[in-house]
Amino acid sequence: MKAAFRSAHSFFRSLNPNPHLTSLLLPLRLTLLTPPSPPSLRPQTFPSLSATLSSASMPGGEPLTPPPLEKQFDDFRAQLEESGTLRERIRAVVMEIESTTRLMHSGLLLVHQSRSTPEVLEKPKGQIGVLKELYNRLAEVVRGSPGQYYRYHGDWRTETQTVVSLLAFIHWLETGTLLLHTEAEEKLGLNDSEFCLDVEDYLVGICFMSNELPRYVVNQVTAGDYDCPRKVLKFLTDLHAAFRMLNLRNDFLRKKFDGMKYDLRRVEEVHYDVKIRGLTANGAPVEDQGPQGPP
Amino acid sequence: MLKLQRLSLAMALKPHRLHSIADTTSQSGPKKARTTTTETSSMKDAFSKYADSLNNLNDKRERVVKASRDITINSKKVIFQVHRISKHNKEEVLQKAEKDLVAVTDQYISRLVRELQGTDFWKLRRAYSPGVQEYVEAATFCKFCRTGTLLNLEEINATLLPLSDPSLEPLQINVLDYLLGLADLTGELMRLAIGRISDGELEFANKICKFVREIYRELTLVVPLMEASNDMKTKMDTMLQSVMKIENACFGVHVRGSEYMPLLGSDDPTSFLLAVPDVEI
Repeated sequence: MKAAFRSAHSFFRSLNPNPHLTSLLLPLRLTLLTPPSPPSLRPQTFPSLSATLSSASMPGGEPLTPPPLEKQFDDFRAQLEESGTLRERIRAVVMEIESTTRLMHSGLLLVHQSRSTPEVLEKPKGQIGVLKELYNRLAEVVRGSPGQYYRYHGDWRTETQTVVSLLAFIHWLETGTLLLHTEAEEKLGLNDSEFCLDVEDYLVGICFMSNELPRYVVNQVTAGDYDCPRKVLKFLTDLHAAFRMLNLRNDFLRKKFDGMKYDLRRVEEVHYDVKIRGLTANGAPVEDQGPQGPP
Repeated sequence: MLKLQRLSLAMALKPHRLHSIADTTSQSGPKKARTTTTETSSMKDAFSKYADSLNNLNDKRERVVKASRDITINSKKVIFQVHRISKHNKEEVLQKAEKDLVAVTDQYISRLVRELQGTDFWKLRRAYSPGVQEYVEAATFCKFCRTGTLLNLEEINATLLPLSDPSLEPLQINVLDYLLGLADLTGELMRLAIGRISDGELEFANKICKFVREIYRELTLVVPLMEASNDMKTKMDTMLQSVMKIENACFGVHVRGSEYMPLLGSDDPTSFLLAVPDVEI
């Protein structure tokens, strides 16, 4: 049969010098001789040769095993390579997110150097738009493989937690309230259903923000804002109480939450020190003027 | 007088410090009371939402872990059943194993299918991956003993389709879990090969040897592309060990086999095993 095919092929070739026409004609004429097969000679002979070889060496005499096995692994390779390139694209965006957060963070650090808050916040707030744009791009990249958000989640997880902590800190400095999950999503433009802000990432980010507060309080007091500890303490106490509503597993979030009580204690100590020395105005709570009251 | 008041205030702070969490509304002044309660309650509302979503997720994860464990246990049983194979009972042993495997699919995999939807497949992958790997191992093991071929991922996934509601997204085993399951398969095949050699089924052992080599070779190309492939790398090392054990056993029989062939028919298989000391490494 093979020999017949081969000779028939060469026969047609010799008859007709135009290979395109040959390949068009061949399947039509050879259907009588062979089952449908690729019209070119090479692919026809090679797999069948290796198949006969291996089936001859197989003691059980298996019919044509190797091609599907190889083919499956070739497919896997293609699939995995594809997800590898997707991952690289994700990482490229995430790196930009990271450098943006670094800029924001260093800008925010000025808050400890007794500058006025609106002035300090100006630059970091400008970066929020950049972040939003970057998350938009990230969502775009991930949209290509629906349902696989959590396959690549690890690649932007820590960066996103940092982003949340910075946004929440800025928000708190401005309003004295907690940035809620939906508000954080809104700021990052992530209200679309597929690419969202993971709740646990949000909560971890909030814990990170809490870590920032003791230092803030200490420096504010040093700069003469004696009412600051009271406000921060109030906020942190509420936050801690809210966190206690959650049933956490023994994971990273649990660990961060456990750390929050040390922030709380530190702020309480500062508050106590200020209060016991009578440094707060008349020792009584004053009218709230936002977390950054005039000294 | 003023000083005394301050002191008592400071004293009042003490118990608060100890408890860390106390009702804070009592602390803030009456003027502030209104705004703080609304702030606090909005925070509380939000956190009760987070608590709900975390609870749901944890409950689901717990159920998935349980389902995964059941799949593991029962897939192991299937594998043990296949190991009971011998020269004369092949058909009945495999029939029972295949029946058990179908039972695993219908009873336990279907439970997993009901839990997982949409993004869960990747989010909870760590919770169900061990069970699915074991299942892949059992299914491919049965298939190899039956036909000598590799059960493809597509074929396994096709058997899972009827389990789920057609309107929902079906559970499809992902490439990573399939490959991890395949890596474990070689360990079972190694055991099977050694058993077959001691039972005198040298052709079958040779077939296993070729098959396992082929899988190892294919995997060497795929593994570097896998994400979080540390797990897989250790599996590759064990796999190479398995391949070599089979090869050494086959070598032992090939080189010295003729001397011991007469023993094959005897009812003392251990004497044959003693002839291939390189079997156990």
